[in-house]
Amino acid sequence: MELQVRDNNTYAATGGKEFDKRLSTVLFIHGSGLDHRSWALQTRWFAYHGYSVLAPDLPGHSLSDGTPLKSIEEMGLWLADFLTAAGVQAAHVVGHSQGFLCALELARQVPEKVRTLTGVGTAGAIPVNSALIEAALESAGKAAEMLLQWGFGRKSHYGMSAIPGMQPIAIGRQIMSNNPLAVDLQACAAYHTGEEVASKLEIPSNLVLAGEDRLTPVKAGKRLAEKLKGGYTVIEGYGHMLPIEAPKQCLHQLRELVSSFD
Amino acid sequence: MSRSSYLKPDTIALHSGYLPESDHGSRAVPIYQTTSYVFESVSAGSSLFNVEQGGHIYSRITNPTVAVLEQRLAALEGGTGAICTASGMSAIFITFITLCSSGDHIISATQIYGSTATLLRHTMKRLGIDCSFVPINDEAALRDAIRPNTKLVFCESIGNPGLEVADIPQISQITGEAGIPLLVDATFATPSLCCAIDHGANIVIHSITKWIGGHGLAMGGVVVDGGNFDWQASGRFAELTEPYAPFHGIRFWEEFGPSALVMKIRAESMRDIGAALSPHSAFLILQGVETLGMRMKKHVENAKQLVEWLQSQKEVTWVNYPDLESNPSHAIAQKLFPEGAGSILCFGVVGGRAGGVAFIDSVELASNLANVGDSRTLVLHPGTTTHSRLSPEDMLAAGISEDMIRVSAGIEDIVDIKADFELGLRAAKRVAVSQ
Repeated sequence: MELQVRDNNTYAATGGKEFDKRLSTVLFIHGSGLDHRSWALQTRWFAYHGYSVLAPDLPGHSLSDGTPLKSIEEMGLWLADFLTAAGVQAAHVVGHSQGFLCALELARQVPEKVRTLTGVGTAGAIPVNSALIEAALESAGKAAEMLLQWGFGRKSHYGMSAIPGMQPIAIGRQIMSNNPLAVDLQACAAYHTGEEVASKLEIPSNLVLAGEDRLTPVKAGKRLAEKLKGGYTVIEGYGHMLPIEAPKQCLHQLRELVSSFD
Repeated sequence: MSRSSYLKPDTIALHSGYLPESDHGSRAVPIYQTTSYVFESVSAGSSLFNVEQGGHIYSRITNPTVAVLEQRLAALEGGTGAICTASGMSAIFITFITLCSSGDHIISATQIYGSTATLLRHTMKRLGIDCSFVPINDEAALRDAIRPNTKLVFCESIGNPGLEVADIPQISQITGEAGIPLLVDATFATPSLCCAIDHGANIVIHSITKWIGGHGLAMGGVVVDGGNFDWQASGRFAELTEPYAPFHGIRFWEEFGPSALVMKIRAESMRDIGAALSPHSAFLILQGVETLGMRMKKHVENAKQLVEWLQSQKEVTWVNYPDLESNPSHAIAQKLFPEGAGSILCFGVVGGRAGGVAFIDSVELASNLANVGDSRTLVLHPGTTTHSRLSPEDMLAAGISEDMIRVSAGIEDIVDIKADFELGLRAAKRVAVSQ
């Protein structure tokens, strides 16, 4: 669906069903340079099993208009405005990678909007190599290639895609190449307070971590889980792009936490 | 590295899409010879039907063995996804029918395979889909042919059998400006010699019966989605951007973005038309894919040697091969095919049509049959076989003359191929002398 957020046309996937704000809402936030399609294999399940789903494209990404936001803090506030525009009082919030940093900032700045927090393939800080940022400033496509090589685990480089006949690395590359990847990476690089924010939150939380994650290693994810005082699960054999690489396992974990609060 | 994998092409050909399966550790890709797949529960079955999860339902739509081949070919071509079909022609038809409806218009190169030309001239026309044929490298002609209802531009990267190499960068510049996808049949090229998506194509099709399978064992086709066409911005493709009623109003572009086309083909055309590739055929073709790179080197090497040798034979009146300067698209071939422009060559012999017939009837090693891309050398007279349904004018436009002999150079020892062709040339000479 499309809605106006801060006077900009904003797109949000609703999992193939019309959004109904009366239902319990699950908000999905994508990672750097990506869009709502990261969550294609999770959103439809929730939408068809009694939830309302919102998976927005952040401003300036894919189907959303507007100027890309330059900091994680701004993204958190924008998400609050987005939920308000959609008529949602509070949502279960799920974020992948940078998306979970945004979720933390949403929870810090407007805690009443957040019922539960689930992070997927994430950590309290996501350091970004300056060479990668420089590459992204020059060409999003070039940086996407570097990022995805590290982002996907061994099974995705060699093995069968979760959707028959698809080549997920190419899909990610196409999406990232046309999005403001450099702005997102700079925002990630500048954000260092995730663990501090997490330690002050009193919101039920859970992390789903990837055993072969080379961008947000399991060790960093576990440290964040400790600060959040929540649980975590490690899905072995997969890389950072968990929602795409291991969609079933990822969905199972999301369902566990969200359904336990409804 | 292709645009969709970090592995090198020869490694992709052997590994992509399959890790030894967990139950038995089979190193080779297993043949999943099954029609259907048991659902874990009613809910799990429902989720699969509703695209909430990936997985297999029925082998008309997907099959694990076929899926390995699809993913491997997508990776080789640098695409976002692929769909394999029962033949190359079904790959072409399902792409046309997914993108075009009655009242729409297609632009095609004049130099294309005879059955594709017939499909466009007659079958598609009967469905209300019109086609304009243009010399595809004529920039002005292509621009002039574009109409408000044009849905795609179609060409072969190397035209069959005229051997005109399509200037894909120039064509894609024009189609891109017009918001029309460029569909390239790259059968004669294979991803080993030229990845059309890298040069601007949006969709790539192959008859994988040919070099990709490579051994003349099994029929098959593939559609590879380049993922590089913005169906929304084009404004011409409600099929992909508007709600699709049979799937709860799904909007393919919104949901799947760079893989929207391939998802639509699978959801609609594979369901409705059912031109599925059998798992056994997929397995056979996978064996060919594994050695594609090395076979293509040998195919091209033999083709080049044969061209050079034929040029020196006094019974040969002309030779056509894209690497020859006499080929009108020679400069384009040099640019797009640095390793050589495939292994199809055409030539004429003394004695005209009768001489050509005598040549084909006299060779012993080469097989006279309606196929290309076999590991064995093949010869054919297109004017009386593959392109016989074309009018004399259309035949001329397709680059076919009455005396044309088409050769698909195999990977036998070149000495034996030349010796065999000597038999044919002697027979042609006898005909010429008697005329």
